[in-house]
Amino acid sequence: MSRRPVGLTLLMVLAVTLAACASVLGIRRQPASHPFEHRAHVMRGVGCLECHKGIEITGDTGPLHLPSDADCVRCHQQPHDSRPCQTCHGETYVRDAAELARARLRFTHSRHMIAAQGDCVRCHATVTESRPDTVMPKMATCFGCHEHRDQWTLRDCNGCHVDLAAEGSMPEDHLVHEGDWLREHGSRAASERDLCASCHTERQCASCHGEGTVAALPWKLALGDDVRLAGLHRAGFGARHSLEARADPGICTTCHTESSCLDCHSRRGVAPGSTSASPHPPGWLTPSGGDHGSQARVDPVSCAGCHGGAGEQLCVGCHRVGGPGGNPHGPGFNSRKDEHHDLPCRLCHGAGP
Amino acid sequence: MRWCKTAAAVARARKLVVGMASAVFASAGGGSVPAHADPLRLRGDALVQTGGSGSPTGVLVLQGQDTRQPWVSAEGLVWAGATPSATGDVLVLAVHLREPHGYAELQAGRFVLATGAVHPVQIDGGRVIARAPWGSTVETFGGAPVVPRFGSRSYDWLAGGRIAESVADLGTLGFSYVQRRDGGEVSSEDIGADAAFAPVKWFDLGGFAAYDVTDPGIAEARASAAVKVDDWRVELFASQLSPGRLLPSTSLFSVLGDFPSQTFGGTVRWHAAPRLDLLASGAGQDVSGGLGSNGWVRASLKLDDRGDGTLGLELRRTDVPGAEWSGARAIAAMPLGGGFRYSEEIEIAVPDHPDGRGVAWPWGLSALSWRSREGWDVAAALEASSTPLHRYEADALVRLSFALGKP
Repeated sequence: MSRRPVGLTLLMVLAVTLAACASVLGIRRQPASHPFEHRAHVMRGVGCLECHKGIEITGDTGPLHLPSDADCVRCHQQPHDSRPCQTCHGETYVRDAAELARARLRFTHSRHMIAAQGDCVRCHATVTESRPDTVMPKMATCFGCHEHRDQWTLRDCNGCHVDLAAEGSMPEDHLVHEGDWLREHGSRAASERDLCASCHTERQCASCHGEGTVAALPWKLALGDDVRLAGLHRAGFGARHSLEARADPGICTTCHTESSCLDCHSRRGVAPGSTSASPHPPGWLTPSGGDHGSQARVDPVSCAGCHGGAGEQLCVGCHRVGGPGGNPHGPGFNSRKDEHHDLPCRLCHGAGP
Repeated sequence: MRWCKTAAAVARARKLVVGMASAVFASAGGGSVPAHADPLRLRGDALVQTGGSGSPTGVLVLQGQDTRQPWVSAEGLVWAGATPSATGDVLVLAVHLREPHGYAELQAGRFVLATGAVHPVQIDGGRVIARAPWGSTVETFGGAPVVPRFGSRSYDWLAGGRIAESVADLGTLGFSYVQRRDGGEVSSEDIGADAAFAPVKWFDLGGFAAYDVTDPGIAEARASAAVKVDDWRVELFASQLSPGRLLPSTSLFSVLGDFPSQTFGGTVRWHAAPRLDLLASGAGQDVSGGLGSNGWVRASLKLDDRGDGTLGLELRRTDVPGAEWSGARAIAAMPLGGGFRYSEEIEIAVPDHPDGRGVAWPWGLSALSWRSREGWDVAAALEASSTPLHRYEADALVRLSFALGKP
């Protein structure tokens, strides 16, 4: 058997695989997607206003001035299909985006047409590209003329955006939340919390950082919609939460207070007074002490989660002055408090004279 | 140059006066607002989950926002549920007043206070911000920390403030102070500094440090610096956290001493193809004297240009003394047409030391959802897992949502 057919077959398989990969990875566009042929019209010298009639005098309300079938057949007198032209020419999501921009932005074409001296391409630069995603200008294009430094300083986005928090759109060229944003956002938001509030509502912050957090995880409330890899409490977090807490002591307090652990453990029967289960590993508490002392020093917040408040008496029972548990203070411990009068010292040292 | 700056300041001051006047005019009911979005937006979600061997649990969440005028908005989120006993809470109930040009803001009600180096805390109280046109910001706040489920603590309140200065467009430098009292005694008192800089488009830096005054020492410090070039983004991060200092000094557990943990690491993101993102992160840790490390790699592939469909894979390894485990997670989400959508998530976590809790903890969830153009959203899912607590656990979940008002 000749080796040529085998080689050809392998070459064809490789080509098909590469083509499939190119489609999947987005390197090659799907033939089904069909952006409107703006470039073809521009190249033939069709002026923007011939199709988008009246757009030069519009304010920030009213229709979008997208061409109708009647506008198309003025030139294309023998349509090749009986369906409406927009069925194939132009993509639905582009029209949806234009409608949302009309609803969300305070923008008037009439004022900009004067400033741009009728040159639409000055803002709609992608209209000359062969297959652009959209001809809608990005915000960086706005900043090309409008510096908006004062508005940035004063967090005054309302001049252009009707309601950014409700808009919920992701910025494409500034404040992009990339990388491991869940971990990173605290460092970034510290200096510019009010800038974050331009887009994010209190509800979004409170859904994680709130003390009275809803008794269902945020992603479970968005079940089926919000599927992604990033997320602190996603998937089987309940199984691995003790390992995650131990690997980064204190991290839980970024959102939760001490009482949060008890709230959940009580519901699941893993709490002081419960006989069903203990969250502590073997060797936690032994006649000679066990691991609980060293672990408590690493992450005392976790202990306070279940044994805080009145539960502190459990510790006091053994570790009070003269008690069998000995001195619980870590090496180098020093305090400015009065051991007989201030909390928590007086719990173990007793009230003074 | 100096004259220009003065002239600009005069112009800004004039704007300030005009802005304040317009706020007064607007508050008198004379404002004209060309807003197009629905000012009132409401959303309700009901989630019911079978409780494995126990009773079913359910949660009803209602949230709303009203921005009828740009200078005032109100926001609320309340929930009630049987989990399994009847319970509920108010998560957010806040009014936000804003001078139309941003020179001043007032927020009152129940909200999350997080500014500068102040540790995030949910309070019933108020917050006032004043901004100057040249970039200075003064902020003051106070209130009572929220106790879940309508509980209360006596003489428990906090107060503080922050001043900050923006340096042109380069960044911001701020200083903060917060004091909290519990039962009448000072339970924590922190001073802090925060900074954010973006001197060039491809580099930015942010971070903060909080210093415990009651028991002198650093309570928490975090910093992150990122470089972005073409399809690559590299971030370096570092943090120090003292759990003992995050507790109120009135807590018995605050006397165990100060054992901070430090982390230093980096994250790399590569936009490998228009629809493919690859991320890798690794960090070294010093957890109270015990050295460890953790890391993960993540790949996300969009199935279409808009990202309606997604495939994802994550591999993880944590190697910190007492918390050694490996894990893998995969996700798939795809639109089915007609408003239907299917998603699948699976995970397996394998602890190095099972200690009788099972050699592996698998978890999986399959969901089917449907969304109507009228605002209805229905989803049903099956969740199955094996955890240290239960050898087998299977739950069914159903969610019904309705949203009123379009952005």
